[in-house]
Amino acid sequence: MSDPINIRALMPGTQITLTDGAVAEIVSNPADGVWVFARYLDSPRDPALVGQEEMIFAQDVVAAAPPK
Amino acid sequence: MSDTDARTAHLLLTHEVAEFLYREAELLDERRYDEWLALLADDLRYWMPMRRNVKFGEEGREFTREGQDIAWFDEGKDTLTRRVRQIQTGIHWAEEPVSRISHLVTNVQLVEATPSAAEAREVTARCRFLIYRNRVETETDILVGKREDVLRRPNDSEGGDGWQIARRKIILDQNVLLSKNLTFFF
Amino acid sequence: MATANSSAYRPGLVDMKTGQISREIFVNEQIYAEEQEKIFARAWLFIGHESQIPNPGDYAAARMGEEAVILCRDRTGEVHVFLNSCRHRGMKVCRYDEGNTMVFTCPYHGWSYGTDGRLVGVPFFREAYHSQLDRAQWGLVEVAQLARYKGSVWATWDPAAPPFLEYLGAASGFLDLQLDGWDGREGQAEVLGGVQKWLIPCNWKFPAENFSGDTYHNISHRSVDLAGIGPSGSGRRDMSELLAGRKLHVCLPDRGHQTILYLSPPDDTPRPAYQNTPLVAEYFRHCEEERRRRLGDKARLLGAPGEIFPNTALLSRQPRTMAAWHPKSPHETEVWRWFFVDKDAPSEVKNFLRDYYIRYSGPGGMTEQDDMENWNYAHAASRGTIARRHPYTYEQGIGTAVENFEWQGMRVPGRVVDITDVRSSEEPARNLYRRWAEFMQADSWDELMTWRKNARAAAE
Repeated sequence: MSDPINIRALMPGTQITLTDGAVAEIVSNPADGVWVFARYLDSPRDPALVGQEEMIFAQDVVAAAPPK
Repeated sequence: MSDTDARTAHLLLTHEVAEFLYREAELLDERRYDEWLALLADDLRYWMPMRRNVKFGEEGREFTREGQDIAWFDEGKDTLTRRVRQIQTGIHWAEEPVSRISHLVTNVQLVEATPSAAEAREVTARCRFLIYRNRVETETDILVGKREDVLRRPNDSEGGDGWQIARRKIILDQNVLLSKNLTFFF
Repeated sequence: MATANSSAYRPGLVDMKTGQISREIFVNEQIYAEEQEKIFARAWLFIGHESQIPNPGDYAAARMGEEAVILCRDRTGEVHVFLNSCRHRGMKVCRYDEGNTMVFTCPYHGWSYGTDGRLVGVPFFREAYHSQLDRAQWGLVEVAQLARYKGSVWATWDPAAPPFLEYLGAASGFLDLQLDGWDGREGQAEVLGGVQKWLIPCNWKFPAENFSGDTYHNISHRSVDLAGIGPSGSGRRDMSELLAGRKLHVCLPDRGHQTILYLSPPDDTPRPAYQNTPLVAEYFRHCEEERRRRLGDKARLLGAPGEIFPNTALLSRQPRTMAAWHPKSPHETEVWRWFFVDKDAPSEVKNFLRDYYIRYSGPGGMTEQDDMENWNYAHAASRGTIARRHPYTYEQGIGTAVENFEWQGMRVPGRVVDITDVRSSEEPARNLYRRWAEFMQADSWDELMTWRKNARAAAE
C-alpha cells in the first residue's frame, strides 16, 4: 500500500498511475487536491478508456512521475 | 562600532520605540486626541486593508490593495483630524457616550533603522495590538492584529523624543468585520 | 391560509390608515422566520456585479437572505447563482471570497461541480454507485431566475416571480442613475475591489427604511456636517442639487421600491463641484455637460438614497454605493457594501472618489456610523414586552402624496411627495412597509402583481 500523494500541485504533463494499474497524463488540475483531469495512456481494466480524458479521484492515484 | 555597541544601540532603540508606542496608546486610551494628532506626520498614510478568504497559493488576493481598492481605512492626517473633530462635537452618537478603550501593544520589533540604530532618524517597527473597546452598557469589541509603522524623527523636533508616525499599516485579523463601527483609532 | 392562527404576522401590524407600525415586525422571532419564506424566498435579491466576475471561471461569494450562494461565470461566459451547499451532505463547496476555478469540489466526500453547476465528479461512481446515480438530478441548486441589468446581477428562487424588469417597474430608472455613466452613457459602472461586510445588531428593516428615503434624520449626521467630510471639506455633499430645483420622494406602491430624487429646472446651469481638486472638477464638469447633451430633459433627475424591495439600497451620487441588508436573525444584520466608479474614469478620479466613499460609508464611515448607532439601540429598546405594545409612528405627510406629479414640464412616475418646502415625509417608509405586509400576506405571486390585474381591467 503506497503512501498517499498530494495531487493538488501536480503539473499538467505529469504521468499518474492509478490503483487499477492504468496510467494517465494530467491535462489540467483544478488544484483542489481531490480531482485532476487526465488522459488515459494505458488502461488494462478497460482499454476503451485509452485516449479519453476523465476526472481522476485523488484516492485512485498511487504514483506520480513529473513531466519530462 | 563593536558588536556589543551595535546590540546595545538596537536594544535602546527598540525600547525607545516601544515606549513611544505605549505613550501613544496612553493618549488614545485617555481620549487626549489633540495630543495624539500632534504625533502624526503631516504626510501620514493610515491604511487598514480588508482581507479575503483565498485559496492556498493565491495569497496575492488576500488583501485589498492600497490606493486602489476599498479598505476599512486609507487616509491621511486631514481625515483623521476630522474624525477627532467629529468626536469632539459631543454629538457623534456612535461615540457618544464615549467608549471605554484600552490599546494593548505588544511584540514590538525593530525592523529597520536609518541611518543606523545608534542615530536613527527613521525606523520601521512591527507590533501586535489588542484593542478592547467597551461601550454603553455591555457592548464589547475585541480587535486583534498586526501593525507596521514607519516612525520619523525630524531634525528640528522640539522636546520629548520627537518621534512622529509617518505611516501606519493595520492588519486586522478579521474578514467580515465583527464590530458595528470603527469610531476609534488603531 | 397565510393568516391562519399559527402565523405571527397578522393584518393590522402595519396600519396604513394611521401610519402606525407595530414594533413586533422588527423584533418578533416568528415573524422573522416567516419573512425568510414569504419575502426572501420569493423576491428578487441583489447578488453582485459582473465586474466582480469578469472572466470565465471567476466566482465570488454572495448571499440571498440568510443563505450563502456562489456568483460565478461558467466556461462559456454565462453567469450563474448557486446555493453554496453540496447536494450530497450539505457542506459548502466554496469557502473562498473570490477566485477562478474549473470546478467546485466538496471537501467532505469529494463531489465536484462544474461552474455551470453540473455534477461532474463523483468518487467511486462506477464502484460504489454501480454507475446508478443520476448525476443530472444532483447538480448545485440554481436560482429559478437570474437577471443582469447594466452589470448588476439579481436572482430569485421563485419561478413564479415576474421577470426582473417587470419587478422593477419604473424603478429601472433609479437603477439607471446608479449604473449609467456620469456622462450619461449606459451601464458604465464597475465595482471598486473589495466588498465591505460587517455585522450590525439590529433588524434588516431599520437600514432598509432609512435608505428608502429618510429625510428626517439630519440630526443623526450633524456631527459630520460640523466636522466636514465632503471632498472639499464642506458638509456631507458637494453637489448643491437642491438650490433651484425640487427634492422629491418617489414611491412605487405596487412594487415597494422608493427613492429620494432631485429634479432640476429646465435650462438649469450646472453648478461647479469638487472645486478644491481641479482635475476632478474638470472631469465632472465635462461629464455633466455630456450627460445633459445625451439625456436631454431626463438629465434633470438626479439620484439620492433609494431602496429596491426588499433589502437593496441605492445611492447614486455621493457616495456612489449599493448595499444589501442580509438578515442573520431578527436582531442582527450582515451588511454588504459595494462602491462604484465609471470603468474608464481616470485613476485620479477613481482614487479621489474612493477616498471619499470609505470615509463616508461603512463601519469606518463618519456618516454611516451614526446611522448604525441609532438602528442598534432603537432595535434594542424595542425588544421588551412593554415596548412592543407601542407602535412606531410613520404618519409624517400621510395623505400628501400625489400621482401624475409634474413640475416644469417633467413628469415623475409613482406617488410623489414634493418635500422641497415641507422638508420631509415618511411616505417612502410607508411604501416599503405596505409592500412588506402584502408579501407577508400573499400566498402567491398572483396576488402580488396588482399591476397585471389593473392592466387587464383597463383593457376591458
